[in-house]
Amino acid sequence: MQKAYVLAALALVGGTIFPVTNAATPAPENAHVYFIWPQDGTVINGGKFWVRMGLRNMGVAPKGVDLPNVGHHHLLINAGPLDMNEPIPSDRNHLHFGAGETEARVELPPGKHTLQLMLGDRDHRPHNPPVQSKKITVIVR
Amino acid sequence: MEKLAGAIAVMISLLSPLALAGDKPANPDAYLYIGWPNDGEVIAAGKPFRVWFGLRNMGVAPKGVNIPNTGHHHLLINTPLPPADQEIPSDRNHLHFGAGETEGMVELPPGRHTLQLLMGDDKHIPHKPPIYSKKITITVR
Repeated sequence: MQKAYVLAALALVGGTIFPVTNAATPAPENAHVYFIWPQDGTVINGGKFWVRMGLRNMGVAPKGVDLPNVGHHHLLINAGPLDMNEPIPSDRNHLHFGAGETEARVELPPGKHTLQLMLGDRDHRPHNPPVQSKKITVIVR
Repeated sequence: MEKLAGAIAVMISLLSPLALAGDKPANPDAYLYIGWPNDGEVIAAGKPFRVWFGLRNMGVAPKGVNIPNTGHHHLLINTPLPPADQEIPSDRNHLHFGAGETEGMVELPPGRHTLQLLMGDDKHIPHKPPIYSKKITITVR
């Protein structure tokens, strides 16, 4: 019983010293998000295309759903580095798929563009460890 | 024009007893398909292969999550579509992906096999209208 109190006290102390460790939703170490299509270097004529979002060892759930080992897709287009402790921004460079979508219709102007997938938890925050794809480049002609 | 509308109404009333379905509405534009393998694909025997679940105009949510226009994937193997107004069976011919998975590993014995996807709602019942893919045939050898 005394031991339990000590453990509880330690847990409290731990909580105050490392508040950040409580923030991120855990993801399996082998979770893997990737582009089924397009691939790195794909040339897209006209600039309108479907992005097919692949996920392994984890499930898709819409935003707000509080279950373990799930998240929803975010497509980063020509975006800079993310702050892993903050919700993923929502703007034209960060598209959210909070309805559980696994494909996205995208239209981009001619030129080179980078695409990256990032899974977000129910509150749009990256998991721990972050579940993100390789950043790929597509060319629109 | 009225005559045409009347004829359509009669057709719908005649069809409705056949068009039994669950009561969760799905976007009629929802499009479910098998991204891989392709129809007619020949697959090497003795090792599992990955089936990609393609879904457009609808979202994925794990079982038990009741959010409009979402569902979870079911892979039907060597079986016709089950009744649309009942829970999809759970057996070796009806694989459930209730954790929100968007791809699945399958191993099948040598021979010809059919694969088809069917969405189920939070209670594993097909939507109204039922959302299912084209049935494909693959050969394992």
